[in-house]
Amino acid sequence: MKRISLMGCPNVGKSVVFSRLTGVNVISSNYPGTTVDFTKGNTCIRGEKFELIDVPGTYSLEPTSKAEEVAQSMLQEADVVINVADATHLERNLYLTLEILGSKKPTIVALNLWDESKHIGVDIDVAKLEKLLGVAIVPTCAISGEGIKELASELCVARVSKTIEPMSEDERWAKVGEIIGKVQVVHHRHHTIRERIADITVKPITGIPIAIIVILLMFISIIGIGNWIIEHLMDPLFYNYYGPWIIDVVNSFAPEGLLHDILIGQSTGESLDFTQSFGLLTTGLYVPFAMVLPFVITFYFMLSLLEDTGYLPRLAVLVDTGLHKLGLHGSAIVPTILGFGCNVPGALATRVMETKKQQFIAATLMAIAVPCMAQSAMIFGILGREGLKWVLIVYATLFVLYVFIGLLLKKLVKGESPELLLEVPPYRKPDSRTLLKKTWTKVYGFLAEAVPFVLLGVLIVNLLYISGLIDILSAVFSPILTTLFGLPEGAIVALIMGFLRKDIAIGILLPLGMTPQQLTISCVILCTYFPCVATFVVLIRELGVMAMLKATGLMIVVTVAVGVVLNLILNVL
Amino acid sequence: MSDINQDREVVPLTTLLPGERAKIVALGHGAGRQRHFRTMGLMEGKIVEIVATQPARGPVVLNIEGTQIAIGRGMARRILIQKI
Repeated sequence: MKRISLMGCPNVGKSVVFSRLTGVNVISSNYPGTTVDFTKGNTCIRGEKFELIDVPGTYSLEPTSKAEEVAQSMLQEADVVINVADATHLERNLYLTLEILGSKKPTIVALNLWDESKHIGVDIDVAKLEKLLGVAIVPTCAISGEGIKELASELCVARVSKTIEPMSEDERWAKVGEIIGKVQVVHHRHHTIRERIADITVKPITGIPIAIIVILLMFISIIGIGNWIIEHLMDPLFYNYYGPWIIDVVNSFAPEGLLHDILIGQSTGESLDFTQSFGLLTTGLYVPFAMVLPFVITFYFMLSLLEDTGYLPRLAVLVDTGLHKLGLHGSAIVPTILGFGCNVPGALATRVMETKKQQFIAATLMAIAVPCMAQSAMIFGILGREGLKWVLIVYATLFVLYVFIGLLLKKLVKGESPELLLEVPPYRKPDSRTLLKKTWTKVYGFLAEAVPFVLLGVLIVNLLYISGLIDILSAVFSPILTTLFGLPEGAIVALIMGFLRKDIAIGILLPLGMTPQQLTISCVILCTYFPCVATFVVLIRELGVMAMLKATGLMIVVTVAVGVVLNLILNVL
Repeated sequence: MSDINQDREVVPLTTLLPGERAKIVALGHGAGRQRHFRTMGLMEGKIVEIVATQPARGPVVLNIEGTQIAIGRGMARRILIQKI
């Protein structure tokens, strides 16, 4: 199968071209030996099958960062290259184009955002550009799908440029200037409405209130829509249909005993409680599908919306000043927001930070103080029953920890904290296909990761209780848990499960019959004491073993401190 | 690449006020960062405007012929311009 690499600068609409060219089966994976992720899909053109790779966006191929190294080697492995260039900013896109053409791979250039370039008064002589570059050039507008067919049909006849040779950096810039002078005319342009909105959202006086509203709206809609799905879809499904059916099925071959308990839990009564029974086929499925999934779907949809409209870079600019005080800069908002979905992609995204110091701070803060959506869903679901006040205490505590530890780490960690340098792309209308595909890819990733681990977690909990091991563990750890944190000794099971999955760990708290105070303390320390094992593995790869040991030490200290302090405050209040 | 006008003062980018226009005359950083600047559209000879300045020594947002770039105040100080 021939391999096509889709290459281009960031923010040129590359992923929209990608989703136009590929079918449903798109997978996201890591490039071997690195943590740089890319998306891969298949496409069929004129009966020939191609593998299409969406190479991470880079401005050049000089290997100064991991992403550029990966882009460079993906170029070497490609049979055909589609270079997606932004017609509205041809000049700076041409640098990468010249690098790609210099590699002597068969190439086609997709001149994307073509309609927009017309709109803002940029005239490009495509025929002349084609002659100068020596390869086919197809004007496209990926959002509307215009030009995609032509792009596909040109693929089979892609050729190596005979006019562009490998050259030095200075020669390349000179060449860019020369080509632009020959093919591009820019007419007078006036401010569009979209540009005015763009300016309003990045100016501090208007931008900061807008940012607060955007984040609040996102938060409210995630909770609102998530709860709606649970109430009207998942709960009726589980309680009215699935529950009675699975009890019948399991009772038909295992009316009692060990197998029965492991499969559907010990509550054999008429009414099945999906949160308390702790069977593999009851709680084990109810937690990921009914309690967490609805929030995960809405979260990833909202996140994709923020990404695809181009709002995230503006948020990064607005929070930059604050994050700088914590030794980070504005770009750290991306791993933080991703971390609210799942800490694993959040940990991967910390590599957007330029220095080791910034990456360490960003990763440590996320691991300690950013609860993933699975965890948040369970906090809403279980602590929320006691009142909104307790949920707010959990998040306020985590926020204070984020700021306080950040201030501390900025002072303690050696190294540099460079400043922000970020392109702020124009607002774009998101493409619904790309949006849905993106959401689905991430939700699928969640299910593939969460379901097996939750099931394993439920199984381990059952085995701990059945074997009696739980009594030994409780006896050993109860002095710490009871005297320091004021928690019942059974909470140790939650802490053990928290290594594996946070959602199931919080789920375990429910049958323990805790007070709201105890639940609140448990939710906080379950967040801070250790990230889940999947995140931990990624963090070791990203930060190294030594740095991770330090981070782990910090987690333990923070957990003990915050547990003790919360216990004092909440039980005095 | 840069065409310096002898009559006008060369000043740091941070002295530019919102609404003013200037020509970039020098990038003033190491080779690697200069390349990064240029591939983002920030290069000598281009006309630059300030879109927004974040408070408390925060970053500035530049508009360079239609491309917006957010850049830290310290980094911006080393870029030299001539007002027009």
